[in-house]
Amino acid sequence: MTDPMLIDADQLRAEVRDKYRHVALAPAAEHHFHTGRRHAALHGDDQAHVGALPDRAVESFAGVANPFSLAPLEPGACVVDVGSGAGFDSFVAAHHVGFAGRVTGVDMTPEMLAKSRATRELLDLPHVEFREGFAEALPVDDASADVVISNGVFNLCPDKRAAFDEVFRILRPGGILQFADIANGRDVPDDALRNIDLWTG
Amino acid sequence: MLEEVGFVDVAIGPPVDTFGGANGEANARAFEVYGYAFRARKPRT
Repeated sequence: MTDPMLIDADQLRAEVRDKYRHVALAPAAEHHFHTGRRHAALHGDDQAHVGALPDRAVESFAGVANPFSLAPLEPGACVVDVGSGAGFDSFVAAHHVGFAGRVTGVDMTPEMLAKSRATRELLDLPHVEFREGFAEALPVDDASADVVISNGVFNLCPDKRAAFDEVFRILRPGGILQFADIANGRDVPDDALRNIDLWTG
Repeated sequence: MLEEVGFVDVAIGPPVDTFGGANGEANARAFEVYGYAFRARKPRT
């Protein structure tokens, strides 16, 4: 766990929100990471399904790997997507679980929430919803999720233990956490951990 | 950390060069950063 004292959590949250506001509004602009369909293809996402999604559902995708690569989701599952962004992984999850299942995306960036909600309306997916919230305080009931997914989000949380504790709280006994995120093979020195620009770029 | 929280059956997928060719590639290379898929289960009891 990163020592929360190394950085200002509120400042990091503001920087992350600003970064992903830009990804929502200008997905094709220069970012420090790849975005969009080619990036999803690199991760091996289901191209038959992804190809059928409209551009607005895919263009702001900025995940770091494929959270569905280790196992598909079961039809009928109740899924929570932590840091759902513009909704790409939520829409893939909705395809996996079908209309008997349910997908709830949670994100803290208003522009991402507006985009995901508009796409959900466009796709007419009544079993998908998006809520405003933080990974460390998920607006989801205890033991209510069969599966929690996430993609490239926990690394941006200053208190990762608090975020994983929240995931544990909302999962039912026997529930599954399957997510994608980055990990470093080389230790990051404290001065780099204090550099908020490195967290977001 | 996942096991500290209480998760079991933790599995990790192969590395993905998610920053390759992107503007963030230099920083990613400096700290050997790759993307991974993770899977873990909350115990039934």
